[in-house]
Amino acid sequence: MPSLTHGLSRIRYELAGPAGAPAFILINGLTQYVEIWHPYREALAARGFRVAIFDLLGQGVSEKPTLFINQDDQVGVVRDLVAELGGGPVFIGGISFGGVIALRYAIAHGDTIAGLIPISAFAEVSPQLYLLGKAMMTGLVLGGTSYLMDLLFPMNLSNAWIGPHMSALEMAKRRGWLLNDVFALQNLMESFLDFEPLTPQLSSIRVPTMILNGEYDFLTPRPLQESMRVHIPDSALVIIPNAYHAFTLEKPALTADLLARFAEDVLAGRWHGKQTIWVAPEQPGGEITPFPPGFDHMRAIPTKLPAHKETTTP
Amino acid sequence: MTPFLGPLEEGGHIPAHQQTRVAAFLMSAHGAQARALAMSLPGGVHDGWQLEMHVQYCREMEILSLLARATSWTADPMLPLLAWSWEAAWLPRPAEGIAEMREAMLVDMAAFGHALHGALRPAALLPEDAREIDPFAMAMRRLELESGRLMQGQTLFLKGARFHGARAAVNAAVERRHVQVRELWDVMLRSIEVDITNRHLAETAFQIALRNNALYQASLQGAAGKAEQKGAAKN
Repeated sequence: MPSLTHGLSRIRYELAGPAGAPAFILINGLTQYVEIWHPYREALAARGFRVAIFDLLGQGVSEKPTLFINQDDQVGVVRDLVAELGGGPVFIGGISFGGVIALRYAIAHGDTIAGLIPISAFAEVSPQLYLLGKAMMTGLVLGGTSYLMDLLFPMNLSNAWIGPHMSALEMAKRRGWLLNDVFALQNLMESFLDFEPLTPQLSSIRVPTMILNGEYDFLTPRPLQESMRVHIPDSALVIIPNAYHAFTLEKPALTADLLARFAEDVLAGRWHGKQTIWVAPEQPGGEITPFPPGFDHMRAIPTKLPAHKETTTP
Repeated sequence: MTPFLGPLEEGGHIPAHQQTRVAAFLMSAHGAQARALAMSLPGGVHDGWQLEMHVQYCREMEILSLLARATSWTADPMLPLLAWSWEAAWLPRPAEGIAEMREAMLVDMAAFGHALHGALRPAALLPEDAREIDPFAMAMRRLELESGRLMQGQTLFLKGARFHGARAAVNAAVERRHVQVRELWDVMLRSIEVDITNRHLAETAFQIALRNNALYQASLQGAAGKAEQKGAAKN
């Protein structure tokens, strides 16, 4: 099992794909672990990318600091991984909590990466997200990792996924439950207690940025994605249809395809984010279509934009 | 070596010799914590933290009673020697870097409690097919769930404003107790042919079901297949 050492902490990671190729570093969300990204490892390596995946400090098989976890340490781990990959182009993607770490990395070390993919991420904690986070932490404390996952499943996955898996949900939780310890997850969640909004620093991110947002994500809904889109100059917001917060788990083939297409476009000089808004296809390889001009992408019902706001669509 | 207790006996029970060794370890550790709490209990409850200490003491006694009754005990000739080494490890040791002795002892007690409730995962030892209503299995689950709640007392105390100035010392004390408890737990488990080091590699029933699911496999291969077609088209 390869591992790198950051400070005194051992971090588990995996590398796949051809050495020297453009690389992806994929960063987990809360309760996740390396194996979650295996479908991405296969799909992206098959398209000629190198892929680095790892357990966050405090999760999976990586070191679990007993009392305190600093988000700067997570950024430091990503820095070490980037160094491990050599000097080729590196794309960083992260989901949810991992998306925040990816944003932090891009703000601090943007010159070391070729592109950024915040997935179901957030740069600020809205009142709703704050209260949801508090409720999740209470759930973790009172009911353990298993109960936290009970909360996360229906919040983050669609009926289309949960329905067929309903009888196996207990089994589906097992690996995440086995690999994660309450005290470490609590430390990770508490690292948001003094969270300062990243929004004022987003404009310093100059790399191409593809913001991915599930159509029905109510944990980190559109307004949180919008704040990234309007502040990151070379960004585009891509809405994943029929998707919730954890669509990376539910639609691995589609999401991996979007990641690969983004990197290919950036490397070929075809990427022009321009803060545009798009709708992803339902299936991998399908057409990514511009959000219908004249309509408000912030609304759940078709609402005409006032004339002066129509410039935001491609 | 296997990552979980077992192989299970007829009826889905954990073998008695494994139950005995695991329960003895847990009773030794939780017993030490109960003793430390008992000796620190104030005569009267005048403050919130004193109430919490009382609650912790009661819960530890409940855990001891539960383990004593739910375990299928069997003779274990190694236990006297093992218990002696465990008890020696749990002896109080004032946290280094905290000048006031009573504070240093309290930090160590809380650090030990944090390790006991945080680092030990008795329910995670159970194989997936352990009998749902087996008393020992239920006790392991109960103990782990209760531990997460009990740990909040230690967490609040150790992270509290009282020790902001001694954060490094407190952190070091907790790390030391975690390492110690984990090491002894791992050694004890290996003595009953259980090695949890690579349990993340153990395929769960869910993963096996997914692996055997043709639709899921097709969805994973979709992206790779399209990439190959694209590559072939370019060539």
